[in-house]
Amino acid sequence: MAENVEKEIISIISDISGFDEEEIKPDTNLQNELEIDSIKAIEITVAIEKKFKIAIRDEVVPNITTVKQAVNLVNELLKQKATKKNT
Amino acid sequence: MYDAIIIGAGISGLVCGCYLAKAGMKVLIAEQHYKPGGYCSSFKRKGFIFDAAAHCFGGYRKDGITRKVFEDLEIDKRLKIEKYNPSDIIITPDYKVSFWADLDQTINDFQAAFPEEADNIKNFFYFLINPDPKAFASIRSWTFKNLLDKYFSDNKLKTILSIPLLGIGGLPPSLMSAFIGAKLFSEFLLDGGYHPEGGMQTLPDALAERFREFGGDLRLSSLIKKIMVKNNKVTGIVLEKGSFIPSKYVISNCDARQTFLKLLGKEKIEKEFYYKIKSMVPSISSFILYLGMDRLFNFLLKSGTNLWFFLHYNLDNAYQAAQKCDIEGFGGYMLRVSNDKSTILALILAAYKNKKYWVNNKFKLSELFINRIEKYSIPDLSKHVMYKDAATPHTLYRYTLNYRGACFGWAGTPSQLAETGFKKPSFIDGLFLTGHWTTQGLGVSGVVYVGYDTAKIILRKET
Repeated sequence: MAENVEKEIISIISDISGFDEEEIKPDTNLQNELEIDSIKAIEITVAIEKKFKIAIRDEVVPNITTVKQAVNLVNELLKQKATKKNT
Repeated sequence: MYDAIIIGAGISGLVCGCYLAKAGMKVLIAEQHYKPGGYCSSFKRKGFIFDAAAHCFGGYRKDGITRKVFEDLEIDKRLKIEKYNPSDIIITPDYKVSFWADLDQTINDFQAAFPEEADNIKNFFYFLINPDPKAFASIRSWTFKNLLDKYFSDNKLKTILSIPLLGIGGLPPSLMSAFIGAKLFSEFLLDGGYHPEGGMQTLPDALAERFREFGGDLRLSSLIKKIMVKNNKVTGIVLEKGSFIPSKYVISNCDARQTFLKLLGKEKIEKEFYYKIKSMVPSISSFILYLGMDRLFNFLLKSGTNLWFFLHYNLDNAYQAAQKCDIEGFGGYMLRVSNDKSTILALILAAYKNKKYWVNNKFKLSELFINRIEKYSIPDLSKHVMYKDAATPHTLYRYTLNYRGACFGWAGTPSQLAETGFKKPSFIDGLFLTGHWTTQGLGVSGVVYVGYDTAKIILRKET
């Protein structure tokens, strides 16, 4: 699952930033290397929430600076969602 | 064959076109009106020059987006841009506060009016100019009211901070997205009040001139009938007069509903996206009064400054009244005396009604509006009016083809914020939208940003 999450997130970021998927690596810094400004940060957050049907808490958004951090967060939220569903 | 065809010569289309043409692409801009500019235009009547809708702009500070783009395109040297100080004054029954060029002076002004909120005022303004983009992502689902409630307890202060946003964003704080409110605030109030000598038309004219110098083709009075698509990829456009013009990219700077439902056609749109367009709510329109004044009249009001006058503190009620085109119920207006003191532009929000409604009501509303300005802001105004006219929501529709005369694209509510499909629909290759219908840019600096960003995304693909 982790691999797909990363692929999907890179595809979202590529669409919104205009950078090719090949240029976006796990350690790529969103703001400095992909020119993600405030509106794009919102677009990416909203698109990720819609894609994975998750809600990212307001206070954790500022902690996401790289692709990897976004992937880890989404994986964690998906895991929580699955656990909730099973209990 | 063009590399890119841009539908509409609004500021966003012109900026995008300039960057693409400057990079060596073969670009056509087709505009249905006989002059460029969209809502950023001016017109001449009886010797008076009136700005049609946009009457000042923001984002022109040292690192502001409008300044960056004008410098990149070297149109800054061709324009004489003045900044009015204060850019905005808000007047209510109990208060008068101003937005100055100097942020600290603005903060002092607000602190003097609301001493109990002194620290909160400073914290609020400093949050708005926060350069960290992630700070805004964390308030993506908030309303502007949520944001104000976080900082302030005084309801009158919250209303005063929201009055100009009602005029430049078309929503009361309870409905406006916190991000949109914050952006409008930082771009238009904390860095607003810029106006080019000669009227707003000089901006699109300078961009159009530059676009042609870069080798671009600009066709005015050219309505586009269809965007052609083959195998989910754009192939070009068809003009109203029937000729097909091929192109690799098509960039629409016109109304989003028109782009998708009319120019592309329902059958070319993904079902889910079709229902999304149908459910999206457009922003409200405006009723704009234009007055040409005689030379004997001595204005007590500061020229070039936007004056926001409100008789009450309930902006939800004002918004409801605007839906009914009820000037008295709206209870306020924006007023700007031109720099040479020869004209006045005044506006209120107003909902779209059909042509027949305005044929019957335009004159009546204009007179009522003049009476109210005379009563509250400029005594004896009517004695000095040499020329008067008004733009109704229907007029705004007629000149720009914006759906129902919408002044701000889609309504800037949290639920409509950041819908990416409107900038670059995923189901058709080579199609982009630019301008205020992308759910991203509001006002001149907002659409300048989107035009610049759209060009950057396309150029990144091309190199």
